[in-house]
Formats: sequence, C-alpha cells, structure tokens
Amino acid sequence: MQSWVVALAFKYLFPKGRWGTFFTWVSIVGVSAGVALLTVVLSIMNGFDKNIAEKLVQVNGSVKVLSNQPIRDYKGWLKMIQETSHVDAVTPFIHGVALVQKGNHVAFPKCLGVDPASAHHVFPLDKFSTQKDCVQLKKDAWVSPQIARDLNLAVGETFDLYSPLSLESIKNDEIILPQEVCVENIFQTGWGEVDRDTVIFPLEYLQEAYGLEGCIHGFSLKVDKEHIEEVCKALNAQLPTKLRSYAWYELNEDFLYVLKMEKSMCFFVLLFVIAIAAFSMSSGLTFSVVRKQREISLLRSWGASRKAIVQLFCLQSVILSFLGVCMGLGVAGILLYYRNEIVHVLTGWFIPKNALWNFYNVEKLPMAFSGTDVGATVVLTFVITFFAGLLPAFKAAKIPVMKGLRRE
Amino acid sequence: MSELLSVQHLTKSFQTSSQQPVCILNDISFSLQAGESMAVCGESGSGKSTLLFVLGGLLPLDKGHIFFQQQPIVYNHLVASSEIGYVFQHYQLIEELNVEENIYLPSRIQQKTVDRHFFNKIVDLLKIASLLQRQTTHLSGGECQRIAIARTLLTQPKLILADEPTGSLDEATGMRVMDLFFYVCQTLGTSFILVTHNAVFAEKTNKVFYLKRGKMSDEKD
Ligand SMILES: Nc1ncnc2c1ncn2[C@@H]1O[C@H](COP(=O)(O)OP(=O)(O)OP(=O)(O)O)[C@@H](O)[C@H]1O
Ligand SMILES: [Mg+2]
Repeated sequence: MQSWVVALAFKYLFPKGRWGTFFTWVSIVGVSAGVALLTVVLSIMNGFDKNIAEKLVQVNGSVKVLSNQPIRDYKGWLKMIQETSHVDAVTPFIHGVALVQKGNHVAFPKCLGVDPASAHHVFPLDKFSTQKDCVQLKKDAWVSPQIARDLNLAVGETFDLYSPLSLESIKNDEIILPQEVCVENIFQTGWGEVDRDTVIFPLEYLQEAYGLEGCIHGFSLKVDKEHIEEVCKALNAQLPTKLRSYAWYELNEDFLYVLKMEKSMCFFVLLFVIAIAAFSMSSGLTFSVVRKQREISLLRSWGASRKAIVQLFCLQSVILSFLGVCMGLGVAGILLYYRNEIVHVLTGWFIPKNALWNFYNVEKLPMAFSGTDVGATVVLTFVITFFAGLLPAFKAAKIPVMKGLRRE
Repeated sequence: MSELLSVQHLTKSFQTSSQQPVCILNDISFSLQAGESMAVCGESGSGKSTLLFVLGGLLPLDKGHIFFQQQPIVYNHLVASSEIGYVFQHYQLIEELNVEENIYLPSRIQQKTVDRHFFNKIVDLLKIASLLQRQTTHLSGGECQRIAIARTLLTQPKLILADEPTGSLDEATGMRVMDLFFYVCQTLGTSFILVTHNAVFAEKTNKVFYLKRGKMSDEKD
C-alpha cells in the first residue's frame, strides 16, 4: 500500500483542523456500541454460566457413580474409587422422596442421605450452613430454606418423616409410626432447585427409613476440574457394567445445552447491531464515493491504480472499525467494572431493591471474561465491516477516469 | 528540438444510442516539439476535450497513432500519466487536505521525489507561497486554479494538457492566471496544449489550430 493512500484515508476521516467528520463519529459510535453490547452481555452471561457450573458441582459433586438398582456391599467399591488417582474425596449417598409433616403443614421434599463422615469432603457443607457453629452433618436433618418456611421450622425443632416404607406397611395392616426428626441446621446452597425442597439426612437414617440397610444409590466424588474426564474413564474401565460414572456436565447435559444455545442466540442477535453499524458505515462511504467521483477520477488521471482506489476506501472502513472496536472494548471495560453500581442505580429506579438479587441468588452481578468470545466479537466485527467497506470501494474503483474530468 | 508528440491520422467517433456513430475527430495529424506550445480553439461540442482525453490515453481512439516521446500511447495504460499533466476547468482541490498537501499529492501518487527548491520556485512563480498552510475551502477561484497548476507542474510533466483552465474564472482573474501559466511553462520549458475560447490566450502560443467538423486547420475561416 502506498503511503499517500494511508495519508489520504486518514485525512478523509479526520480532515485537518477538525475532530473527524460527523460520518466518522457516527460510524465509530455504531461499531463501538455493537462491540460494547456484545462484550458486556457475553461477559455477564459467562459469569452466570460459571456460577451455575460452580453450583452444579457444589450440590452434585464433580463426578457421580450411579446404578439403576441399590448397591449392596458398597464398601469395596468405595475403597476402589478412593484409590483411583485424582479422586480427592468420595461419599456414598442415597436419594428419594418422603412425606414430612409438622403440625398441619405437610411437604413432600426430596431426601438426600449422605455419610456424615465423608460428606463434607465432597460438598462444601460449611458454605451451605446458615448456623455459624454447625459446619458438619451430625446425626439430624438439614432442611432447605423453603421447606423450613413451609413447615414453619426452626433449628432445634422437630418434624415427622413418613417414608414410602411406612405406606407399604399400611397395606399389610401394620402401623409404622413416623420417625421424629430434629432440625440440626437450615442450609442454603444458592441453587434454587435444591433450596426449594430438599432435606439432607445422615445416610443410615434414610437407609432405615427406606428399608435399604447396607445399600446405597451411588457415590459423589470430588475431582479436580482438569481430571474429571480422566477419572470417569478410569472408573468406567474398572467398575462393573451396572455401575457407571458420569461427570457433572454429562448429568446436566440438556440444561447446559440450553444455556449454550441461549448464549449463541444472544451472540447472533447482537451481531446484528454490528451488522447494522457496518451497513450504515457502508452507506456513508458510498455517499462519500458519489460525492468524490470527480476527485477519484482526478486521482486516477494522476496515475493512481484501481487497486489503490479500492485500498483507499477499504482502509477507511478498517480504520473506522478499528477505532470502533477499541472504543467499544473500552466502554465495555468501564461498564463491566462498574456493573454493580450501574445495576444498583437502575434497579433502584425500576425494581424494588433486592428482588433481582434474591431471584438470581447473587449478591453481585457475576462476570467472566472470555478471550474466545471477545476474540470472536473482534474478528467478526472486522470481517463484517471489511465486507461492508468493499462495496463502496469497488464502486469507487469502477468510476471511469473520464467521468469527473468532463466539463459539466 | 526533438519531437515530443506526434499524432497521425487520429480518428475518433462516438456511438450515439440509435443513429450512426458520430465522427468527432476525423483523420487529424499534427506534431509538437519539446518546449513548444499549442492552442486548440473551436466551437462548443467540436471535440476539443475529446482530443485532449485521447491524447492523454484517457479515451480510446478508433484509428491512427499517437506517439509521445516515440512511445505509442495506449488507452487506459496510464504509463504516460507521469509525463503528461492535466489542468482542467474544474480545479477540484481535495478539501480534506491543505494547500501544500494538495500540491504534493500528484507527485506522491507518481512516487516522484520532489526537490524542495523546485517546490519553492513553483510556489513563488505562481504567487501562492502565503496560502500553503490554508485549508482549500475558502480560497478564491483564481487561487484554486493556481494551486491546481502548481500541483501539475510539481510532477514535472513534459506536456501539459490544459482544458479551458480559466473556464470558471472571471476575465481579469483568468488573464492573470494564464499570464502566470505561460510564464511558468516558459521558465520550465514545459510544452502544453491549451484548449481555449479566448483568442488572446491562443495568440500567445506557438501555434493555433481550429477544430471544426472533425478536422483541424490553422485557418480560423
Ligand atoms: N462519451 C460520449 N458519448 C457520446 N458522445 C460524446 C461522448 N463524449 C463526448 N461526446 C460528444 O462529442 C462531442 C464533442 O465533445 P467535447 O466535450 O469534446 O466538446 P468540446 O469541444 O470540448 O466542447 P466544449 O467547448 O463545450 O467543452 C459533443 O457533441 C459531445 O456530445
Ligand atoms: Mg470541453
């Protein structure tokens, strides 16, 4: 590219003595708005996704070993899993549903039985606990906040547990009295599904209630993020076919797919903002080509090649999109940095405070910066604006040398 | 004196929509020596501009040959563009550039290194030294045309094709600009072909041709 092309392209956009033309700024602001919007939205979505992933791991463990029937004599498997490399902790669990009652309040929560000795190594029970002094499951139940509210329960109070087994015995004209359970703690995981209706019991408690003495439903494992796949493979190679290990993301495949889909759709829709900005840039440049026909003829008559004319106008679109991208990333950075303040101000105007935070279960707007997303945004912006710039550039190159030189 | 431009049996016609092609230039021959100047006069529509464009290789010719410094001029093959300069009625300065940048632009496009002394000399001769840092938007027509002449001269062409350079200037200004133009070309030894309606300007060139019905003659008749 010849130096005059570069100099003239800059001068067209930023004439001497002026801070750029109106067209220059409209184009830059258009592109930067698109880039900023995409970056901010994607970063916050990534933040939420990351939060969700963390929560999923926290409430499920990173790997689960499951079977389609109760696992008897599980101690051997437990030992084997424990000894598999990269497995940090294992805990056996049992799950099901039960009827719980206090006074005339009834609920039908999911029940999870875990081994008090090892559960806290896999699940961050200390983080879930709402009682400062209670960081480990001991011998009584931990209930989720919603259940506590529904049954009007407080720590130290009791409720009745009717297991499916007690219903079974009614058929046989036996009466098994409900078990009286004491509330040891109220836990909050931050994962709505769990917080809504879950009661955690010590393993043996539930085994007894379900008549599953000595049996479990599966194992939850704590494994490093990097080794999840490796561990699953190693376990599946050693476990009998009725036992399979699954990574957390396999168990939540559909949900994660929906999240991914949502993000892709957002990306796609917001890309239109950039496309529109590119379109307006293209029409602005076309207008400038039409206005400068005579000038372009003159440049050609001095020996400027068609290629140089194409470069002259393409370069303008490249400069504009470069500045737009830089400004957009800058604005996105500022918006993300002050995101909590901004959201607090906005929610202060429109939504009663804290409704948002309670609904999303976050104290702060999460954000995760993804190099790939930003890279994709930047690259796509350049590609789109470059193609948008080609149109006027080729239009300019097609102007015959004669065109502007004839007297009118 | 060596021969700069030689035109032999030049014929050019335009295809108008339905009718027969109209012959604008019919078998024209002439030659121009280096340093010589020439004026082309004729009625509006007689083909003066067309002649200049064909000579510069900006329009194709139908028949005949044009040799510039013994090299044939080929349409759209703008090799001659660095040796042939143009001055048009529309001076068309680039408004985003200041005067000095405007003057330098053709030389930059042709990748010619410009001697600062030569630049100063031209600027002084054309009396635009005080305008160099100005923006072009508020300049008068005469100033603009002098700048346009300066930028053409700076590329040091062997031949200047000037198409009614004073066409959009008033008479007095046109007279002053042309006087400067003649003087500078004489000083630098640059040949030019001047298209003009003005008999006074035409008289100041070495030879005058009249274009009429496709033919060139040195008689006004
Ligand atoms: N591309 C073209 N197609 C058809 N006819 C053309 C074309 N270009 C020029 N002409 C015709 O050729 C004739 C000569 O045009 P030209 O511009 O050379 O005239 P001129 O002598 O320069 O006139 P003026 O003094 O008004 O500038 C005109 O009749 C014009 O209409
Ligand atoms: Mg003309």
